Amino acid sequence: MSLDLATPGGITLALVPELLLTAWSLLVLLVVSWRHRTAEDSRLAGWLSFAGVVVSLAGLAALWVNHAAPEGLAQMVALDGFRYAASAIVLLAAGGTILLSLGYLERERLWAPEYYPLVLLATVGMLFLAGAEDLIVLFLGLEVMSVAVYVLAGYNRTSPFSSEAALKYFLIGAFASGFLLYGIALVYGATGTTNLVLAGAQLAGRSPPLMAALGLGLLLIGLGFKVSAVPFHMWAPDVYDGSPTPVTGFMATGVKIAAFAALVRVLMETFSGAIHVWQPIVAGLAIASMVVGNLVALAQRSLKRMLAYSSIAHAGYLLVAVWPGSPAGAGAVLLYLFAYGLTTLASFGFLAVLGRGGERDVTYDDIAGLAATRPLIAFGLAVCMLSLLGFPGTFGFIGKWYIISVVVAEGHAILPVILVLTSVVSAGYYLPVIMAMYMKPAPDAERYAGVRLWPAAAGVVALSVAAVLLFGFWPGPVLDLAGRSGLTLTQTALPLAGP
Amino acid sequence: MSQFLDSIAYGSWILHALVLLPLVGVVPVLLGPESSARRTALIVTTLEFLLSVGLWWALAPGQGGLQLVSDSPWIPGWGISYRVGMDGISLVMVLLTTLLMPLSVLASWHYITRRERGYYALMLTLLTGMVGVFIALDLFVFYVYFEVMLVPMYFIIGIWGGANRLYAAIKFFIYTMAGSLLMLVAIVVMVWKVQAATGTFSFGYEHLLGNARSIGAAAPWLFAAFAVAFAIKVPIFPFHTWLPDAHVEAPTAGSVLLAGVMLKIGTYGYLRFAVPFFPEVALSPEVSALMVTLAVVGIIYGALVALVQPDFKKLVAYSSVSHLGFAMLGIWGGSLQSVQGALMVMISHGFSTGALFLLIGMMYERRHTRMIADYGGIARVVPLFSLVLTVVALSSIGLPGLNGFVGEFLVLLGSFTSFPWATGIATTGVIFAAAYLLWALQRVIFNRLDNPENEGLSDLSRRELAVMLPLLLGIVWLGLYPAPVLRRMEPASQRYLELAQPPAPPTGRVSAAIPEGRP
Repeated sequence: MSLDLATPGGITLALVPELLLTAWSLLVLLVVSWRHRTAEDSRLAGWLSFAGVVVSLAGLAALWVNHAAPEGLAQMVALDGFRYAASAIVLLAAGGTILLSLGYLERERLWAPEYYPLVLLATVGMLFLAGAEDLIVLFLGLEVMSVAVYVLAGYNRTSPFSSEAALKYFLIGAFASGFLLYGIALVYGATGTTNLVLAGAQLAGRSPPLMAALGLGLLLIGLGFKVSAVPFHMWAPDVYDGSPTPVTGFMATGVKIAAFAALVRVLMETFSGAIHVWQPIVAGLAIASMVVGNLVALAQRSLKRMLAYSSIAHAGYLLVAVWPGSPAGAGAVLLYLFAYGLTTLASFGFLAVLGRGGERDVTYDDIAGLAATRPLIAFGLAVCMLSLLGFPGTFGFIGKWYIISVVVAEGHAILPVILVLTSVVSAGYYLPVIMAMYMKPAPDAERYAGVRLWPAAAGVVALSVAAVLLFGFWPGPVLDLAGRSGLTLTQTALPLAGP
Repeated sequence: MSQFLDSIAYGSWILHALVLLPLVGVVPVLLGPESSARRTALIVTTLEFLLSVGLWWALAPGQGGLQLVSDSPWIPGWGISYRVGMDGISLVMVLLTTLLMPLSVLASWHYITRRERGYYALMLTLLTGMVGVFIALDLFVFYVYFEVMLVPMYFIIGIWGGANRLYAAIKFFIYTMAGSLLMLVAIVVMVWKVQAATGTFSFGYEHLLGNARSIGAAAPWLFAAFAVAFAIKVPIFPFHTWLPDAHVEAPTAGSVLLAGVMLKIGTYGYLRFAVPFFPEVALSPEVSALMVTLAVVGIIYGALVALVQPDFKKLVAYSSVSHLGFAMLGIWGGSLQSVQGALMVMISHGFSTGALFLLIGMMYERRHTRMIADYGGIARVVPLFSLVLTVVALSSIGLPGLNGFVGEFLVLLGSFTSFPWATGIATTGVIFAAAYLLWALQRVIFNRLDNPENEGLSDLSRRELAVMLPLLLGIVWLGLYPAPVLRRMEPASQRYLELAQPPAPPTGRVSAAIPEGRP
């Protein structure tokens, strides 16, 4: 199916997932303005919002299955497999977040159902960010997403840490947006267009002018903040730590997925000619993120902070996959985002049921002996830790292997070697989680009597863990899909790679 | 026998059955009651052993190549298929594994008293991993088995181990993982290099082996990555420091399997992958000298450290470093005798050291101490136990007529021509072995019975005898008549030597040696 994006009908069809979700979130907002007093109302808003995600996912699937493609040049929004795949992962993360929040908000007595429309609006922003074919759309998507997530981070009004998180995230986020906007302005100045492909065509075949190179640098900084790559990561631990746990999970998955999709698209579609300019920068960011993220995570006692630093390390692994700038690399980014998203969401889901009052102080000792009384939760969390570690038999391993493979295909082995060595370091903080649950005695028999997964969350984590194991053993179809989706990015000046 | 096996198409399903059966067995172990877990595990592992015995006949003797090969697509888009098969080397390793497994389950009968279902489920998973490693003929599959094996062992050490188990478990895990992840990068690099030369993207073993010459300048790095991964597993000095911790802290069955099977995966890795892939690097004078030196250092160092251990289990753990040094020396010895000897060392180490760990476990179950000083003179109280311990210790020392002698003698004989000095020094390792084990034996079962707590010790029970008997039979059989085993392995060793041709000496020296064109 080919769509003419210049006509109102064409652009409407092309934006079906985003439009459906926007309309749905306004509808939910309308509903909650009447019903926002009881736990019942909160639950209603949650399920309604989840239905919205499903509807949007259906719209996306309709586009994807019909291979919707633009007639001529894609303007404003991309119509390719890369967008569909990234959007699907974002929507899955959003749906999972909503289901995880259902019981959590009730337990923490956060009875303000506006939470759910905010999640939906953030998701709309993410979808635009992941699918933007124009720098202005990209910026709008980023802002819609960020503003909603700022509010979500501070959702627990009674907790000073939550407010601190929101304020920090807002200030740093605004700062990052400034960089990004200035970068967009410079790119526009150098090429006379904000369309990614057109700008790429302008820059192809010559060494980039200084103005474009500066613009590239500023864009990298702006997106680097959003994916929390070192040295733009300073906000992440405090923000992840202070936010309500499902929101942390949403930030670690949804925000990162969308920002990485945008980063890959900008680097490959617009700056593929300037690959020698950004490759060293991306390599430097990747190495710094992997080393700092993993080493600092080792020193954490709180599980939530450990996961925050580990997500910085994973941003580093993802940057390694970005580095080749090849379609296979884009496929590896998608696959790793999927694997990482599933695992991280489930990990935060488990963390959410294990703690109280924001889980800031759940340490390794607080899950000691969990396996004896809650074997299923312990098993699930253990699988997640092994997947984050990249252990064979889990999806995380397939993701890391794919990254190593696409970088080695370019004839480089230094980044993969650093990747595996820092992964070994990460065993030093993932394994103690398993160790505490299985190998240490519980402080007292009644310790985990209150730990119970609410049904919706149980469904999410069970499905995620099952998928992590399934794709760990049978990754063929997702590998193919990711590889094919990576190939759909509009190439301006790049040789093909991959088997 | 072969006809019967052919009639049931044994060769076509056995390798899959050996991998799947333990995994299927995990289900009844986990779902059944706690009390019957050990019985189920025993039935499954015994069945596995009985099934595997047929391999002895199923494998055509006299053929060096890989047999019973089966290939089914796994991730076809990426050149990965589930490819398994075996030769004589894999055969003896698989049989050793399947034999030690039911014995380990029996040895855990009373030792493991809590969370039995989990324990036996992990033992069965471990069995799958260990068998899988020895039959994998696709490097991706090999890597997955190589790593997956770590998890059950990590839990077995970490949950059912001794006082310092957490430290030992994580050290074991991180050491092994560090090596194997570098190997993963090396595998991927190798696959891409071979792809660049041949146009085929495949992780298949034979494909990579056949085209390994096309790797070129990266070969030393790739060999280094493989070599370090396997060196940690063997372990070769100075990568051995995880071993005493893991062995000492692990429960008896864990130590038996660690020493009996998992260490051999390292030497097997050299024989199957590291040396045949990169013979120019591996057998170059510099690398040979390094590996042989490390092997000899391991032999002497392991023996000397064993000599001063007050803890019997730690003593045996260090003796493993010494024994595996002989295997490494044999692999680099470069003659048929030395390679056959290395394989014999691997097998008999599985028998003797496995038996020693089992006996130490029995001592520990009675007295809850492994300190040599706490015993003394127990031969009078437990004569049968002492007899068995003496036989096993003598076999570990390498007394002619018992199994340990055959391998070490072949290694020393076969390596002498290539490395006379190193072999000469290694020979002293045999003397040290006699020293540390006989001295330990003297302090444990002879001397005066001066500790009243030892007076009430009970002798071997029928279950314990059932555990030791197969091992004793093996020890004597391999010592007196090793020919059938050697014959099975010979074609595979021969093939290894053909693959592992040392690099041709520089042409200048050749022309100097051959006085050609001289008047």
